[in-house]
Amino acid sequence: MESLPDRSAPGPVASIGRRIGEGGLTAFVAVSLTFFALRLGGGDPADSLMAQSLVTPEQLTALRASLGLDQPLLVQYAAFLAGLLRFDLGVSLYNGRPVVTVIAEQLGPTLQLAAAGLLIAIVFGFALGILAAWSRSRATADGARLVSGLATGLPVALTGILAILFFSFLPDAGMQAARGLFLPAMVLGFASSGAIARVVNSELLRSRTEPYMTAAAARGIHRSPRLLWHALRPALPLVISLCALQAAFLFAGTVVTETVFSRPGIGRLLVSSILQGDYPVAQGLVVLAALIYTLSQVIADLLAVGVDPRLRSGL
Amino acid sequence: MRRIVTLLLAMLLVGCASPATSKKTLRYGLTLAPSGLDPHINASSELTIPLGSVYDTLVFQDPDSGEFVPGLASAWEISPDGREYTFHLREGVLFHDGTPFNANAVRANLQRVLDPQNLSQKAASMLGPLESVEVVDDLTVRLRLSRPFAPLLDSLSQVYLGMASPAALAEWGAADYQFHQVGTGPYRFIEYVPNDHLTLEANAAYDWSPPVYQYSHPYFDEVTFRFFEDAATRALALESREVDVIGEVPPHDAERLAATGEFALQAVPIPGQPLQLLFNTLRAPTDDVRVRNALLLSVDRPRIVETVFGAHSAVAEGLLSASTPGANLILPADAYDPAQAAALLEDAGWEVGAEGRRSLQGEPLALTLIVPPWGSNPEVAQLLSAAWTQLGAKVDLQVAPGFGPLKEAQSGGEYNLIGVNLFGSDPDLLRPFFASDGLYNWTGWTDPGLDALLIAGAESVAPRPERLALYAQVAERVAAQSLVLPVRDYTNLVVHRRGLTDLRFSPQGWNPYLIDLRPAP
Repeated sequence: MESLPDRSAPGPVASIGRRIGEGGLTAFVAVSLTFFALRLGGGDPADSLMAQSLVTPEQLTALRASLGLDQPLLVQYAAFLAGLLRFDLGVSLYNGRPVVTVIAEQLGPTLQLAAAGLLIAIVFGFALGILAAWSRSRATADGARLVSGLATGLPVALTGILAILFFSFLPDAGMQAARGLFLPAMVLGFASSGAIARVVNSELLRSRTEPYMTAAAARGIHRSPRLLWHALRPALPLVISLCALQAAFLFAGTVVTETVFSRPGIGRLLVSSILQGDYPVAQGLVVLAALIYTLSQVIADLLAVGVDPRLRSGL
Repeated sequence: MRRIVTLLLAMLLVGCASPATSKKTLRYGLTLAPSGLDPHINASSELTIPLGSVYDTLVFQDPDSGEFVPGLASAWEISPDGREYTFHLREGVLFHDGTPFNANAVRANLQRVLDPQNLSQKAASMLGPLESVEVVDDLTVRLRLSRPFAPLLDSLSQVYLGMASPAALAEWGAADYQFHQVGTGPYRFIEYVPNDHLTLEANAAYDWSPPVYQYSHPYFDEVTFRFFEDAATRALALESREVDVIGEVPPHDAERLAATGEFALQAVPIPGQPLQLLFNTLRAPTDDVRVRNALLLSVDRPRIVETVFGAHSAVAEGLLSASTPGANLILPADAYDPAQAAALLEDAGWEVGAEGRRSLQGEPLALTLIVPPWGSNPEVAQLLSAAWTQLGAKVDLQVAPGFGPLKEAQSGGEYNLIGVNLFGSDPDLLRPFFASDGLYNWTGWTDPGLDALLIAGAESVAPRPERLALYAQVAERVAAQSLVLPVRDYTNLVVHRRGLTDLRFSPQGWNPYLIDLRPAP
């Protein structure tokens, strides 16, 4: 992305096509690995399902047959892939509901949390990065660096609990509302902001010595616009692809955040489905995660092309 | 960006400004977001907490006396051979949707539970050898069993066999009924959003309160449940006033909260098996009863329980928790006696060698422990390992991440001790563990005498004391072979804000009688 494209470089359309292809392949590999890992390491789901039940061994055998678990693993795998092609992820072992429905009803809260978290991560990340790079006060710059270091280093489980304690002075109703989205999004966003701050900071420091900055200063452009437009703009493609990575990271971060704040979402669904051996649900969530990862990469590429004219020259 | 910040702040303020309702609401923290909430189909103990108040059962079990008392059945007869139960149903009972409760409703419910299509994870097996359900007349129903089954009343008194509206069952399929539950209980099921909340509303028409309840009508108009799986956040949920009551609070948090004076701690004993480890009798060195006995004698269980669970848990003294109705199955000869333990090992030929390690004909005394991750099993196993290392054993401790992996490790057979236990209020739950062909016979022990006792207990038609005497013999045989290491009677530490009173629980220990909850005077 940094170097100028040469004559043989593919255009953005081809590049995005390739990205989707790669993403599809990654998703396929991830989903297949999970399929076998869950089945080889997680025990027999029929056992987990009937753990509380005093069934006879014969009833257990019958149950395995009715769930298709008596088939060879490769046959089960083929059936799973065939279902995937029809967008059929099967039904939950525990409640018989379609996996697509189970995931869909938990997806909304997670998307809401991840989106709010990403916004906060970007706001915090840019603010901290710019402060650290351009503050005239040494103390402010060091402070900003320290905060972004803490953001990366402190686990969400800790900042989440601190946030709940800190805000517990709010009246009951306010606490309920704050716990709903505001606090979890702040905690999640803060955790992701450190990485963004670091990239913004280093890109700004690097651009300080670039000739176009000197040129901008020479043209009499003031410090703030010079900083915000001339210095920041070349850094954007890198920051955007980092944000896309962060979007995937945020999705993972929702697992802990949702648990700490006891919020609905696919993160908690993933944990409970793996622990209980509800393979169809766990499997469906991995398919979703692979899709999200691929999509966020493609979107990042498109955005990067949007902000960086150099990347369009392949057209 | 500023707009977004403003929006977030506005949302926060709107939340603060929302008017206080005059509705009397109780907020209850659950500790598990169940993967399924249908009592006939799913198995978690947690689902009984809200649903215990949605459903009534044919009979109820008195938490104090352990006796069965009338519920939706006002009277019943059991045939002398123990294979026919005739229930006379209460008249005038209506489901929350207006459907009348009658013998057909009982049959529809039991058929639903037994339908193999519905994959019942618990309720179906609780019905044992139930063969048919006959509607004698509108208010009389007869259950026929292929063999006598002493635990039947205990089963029928539990929420898993609660009576649901046949109209609602027919309207919603097996997968969707869990979101539209209709019972006859003191609270109506309003809404369930998985992983988020569950809401109940008082049933104003409730007029058939069983004798186990102190009050005939609920005080709280609404009860909302939320899920807090992470043990570390449960105390926080109370402190930040997110909930009024929450269960399974970690011992140290519970004590700290109680000490503030703002909260009250209630230690609720859970009947069934204690936290325990089973010895594998098919694998050396635990195939030798002297070694098993030595391992039992070398652990200071009161100290382990104190260290891991604080002051509120009883040390397990038997095959069943002391709170299991009518069961008091003391295992003799399990007091802490490290000298005796060492002597037993010497006697079995395990001599102390270099660095205090014991061996027999060059084979080191090696133990493999496999425990599940829940209920502080790993912490307990850690302390057991330390005690046995002290004794000269080489201990390999493995934590299985869930029930599936635990069962898989068990099937492999490469363990000397394994942690597993079931909750329940009838001693028949010992059968799968100690019968030769039992699903949980993870000790590998086979004893026809034990099998006969366990079957006699399950099929007993004798009065209760005589039946329980059979289980005392079971306990003796198990103790003679040192098959099990019981550690701690399960105790659910429930903490609630001061200002609530009459928080009582059913004999199974999990589900509260919500109808009885009152504000403190």
